[in-house]
Amino acid sequence: MITVKHLYKEFDGKEVLKDISIRYNPGECSLIIGASGSGKTVLLKCLVGLFEPEKGEIWYDDLLFNKLDLNAKKQLRTQVGMLFQGSALFDFATVEENIMFPMDFFTDWSKEQKLDRVNFCLKRVNLENANKKRPSELSGGMQKRVGIARAIALNPKYLFCDEPNSGLDPTTSILIDRLIQEITQEYGITTIVNTHDMNSVMEIGDKVGFIYHGELLWEGSNKDILHSDCKELNGFVFASPMAQQLKSLLRQEKKNPEDQK
Amino acid sequence: MKKTLELVGQYYLLMKRVFQKPEKWKIFWKQYAVEAEKLILDSIPIVSIISIFIGAVIVIQTANNLESPFIPKMYVGYMARESLVLEFCSTMIALILAGKIGSNIASEIGSMRITEQIDAMEIMGVNSANYLILPKITSATTLSPFLMLESFMVGLLGGALIVIFTGMVTLSQYVDGIQFAFKPFYIYYSMTKTAVFCFIITSISSFYGYHASGGSLGVGRSSTKAIVVSSGLILIFNLIITKIML
Repeated sequence: MITVKHLYKEFDGKEVLKDISIRYNPGECSLIIGASGSGKTVLLKCLVGLFEPEKGEIWYDDLLFNKLDLNAKKQLRTQVGMLFQGSALFDFATVEENIMFPMDFFTDWSKEQKLDRVNFCLKRVNLENANKKRPSELSGGMQKRVGIARAIALNPKYLFCDEPNSGLDPTTSILIDRLIQEITQEYGITTIVNTHDMNSVMEIGDKVGFIYHGELLWEGSNKDILHSDCKELNGFVFASPMAQQLKSLLRQEKKNPEDQK
Repeated sequence: MKKTLELVGQYYLLMKRVFQKPEKWKIFWKQYAVEAEKLILDSIPIVSIISIFIGAVIVIQTANNLESPFIPKMYVGYMARESLVLEFCSTMIALILAGKIGSNIASEIGSMRITEQIDAMEIMGVNSANYLILPKITSATTLSPFLMLESFMVGLLGGALIVIFTGMVTLSQYVDGIQFAFKPFYIYYSMTKTAVFCFIITSISSFYGYHASGGSLGVGRSSTKAIVVSSGLILIFNLIITKIML
């Protein structure tokens, strides 16, 4: 479980995150949504320790993450996996070496054990036989899957995904979303996904937090979104005319269930 | 001035992270070998080509300027040796390497920075500065003196070839000159300079690459800065080391 309490972050005197408090539970896909520039990536980077918050607390279970010393932080990070927006696969390494990278550093496994784990992770993301390929030889969707395989290589307790669907077609996006959800539920991982893809929200959003101008304005499940009265959230979620039509249809359906029969 | 001090502070902080005990020595030595090949072995062809031509040119210029019959012809070999060992094989080669390996390092690390590969390492708990930079600095600093020796040998060979083909002086006069009043300390001095210069090139280029920002343009900028600053520092340290050692 990850708990955030009264988190503040600013850049050059400008507040980017204001008083964020939220809890992320294990076995759930928790989504951070918001428009570009709203501060959701900054929040994610604060959570993983790439940015140091000005004020507030970040708890990983019973450990106060932002007050840990370097060694303790390093220890904790071996339990963290992250999928980056651009996959961030190492260019100098093959798929196999990419997934093996954290194992080389933090385990004393034999070469065979590492290979077994690599093959298991690749099978889990449906990418068998891609071991010897270079990241540049893979499509965007395949790169994301390798990124997930690398993130789960050491059986993490916490998984962070920064816009996992950006640049992917709808079908591949759904595959990636489902994969993240399956892995989260299968291993009881605390998963936090940063996205502005509404399909992802509806598909896997066990818990959704809406960030607006650096503030956590709304919190709930994906089902609650449709019935929310939060103006800013509605403006973000139902921004397109098609989404607005769908929403009004759904509301009509809810009002007149008899007519539908 | 404030900006310069900030840069020095950032450089110091980065070096503090670089010079820590590697997570696993096996990984470090593997990276050391990879970097040795990339930074030193791959530089042998360019260093050899430049050295052989410069050695030949020094011999031609010296022979043309020794017009007095009272100056022995063997001085052509002597002058070529002194020019090569004192300045060319260390400083000139270092300036060439600043362009070749400096831009390579800055753009490689800079690209990793802007594509979040360095962030990915940090999140895994890997000290990215130590993993990426330490092998580069150690391999270049420890092995570059041998590159200087190689350049020296090839430069002298270039001189010998021009002597053979043009007959400006005889080969035996040239060889006598090379052996005349030889001070082994100059070799040690030149090797020391090369090691210091390669430390400057690798650490400065890594620093600029590591702090690259602003997409591909930012990587280009960091690469240019790395070469300019390394070259300037090479010239300054050349003066300092020469004053201290000679």
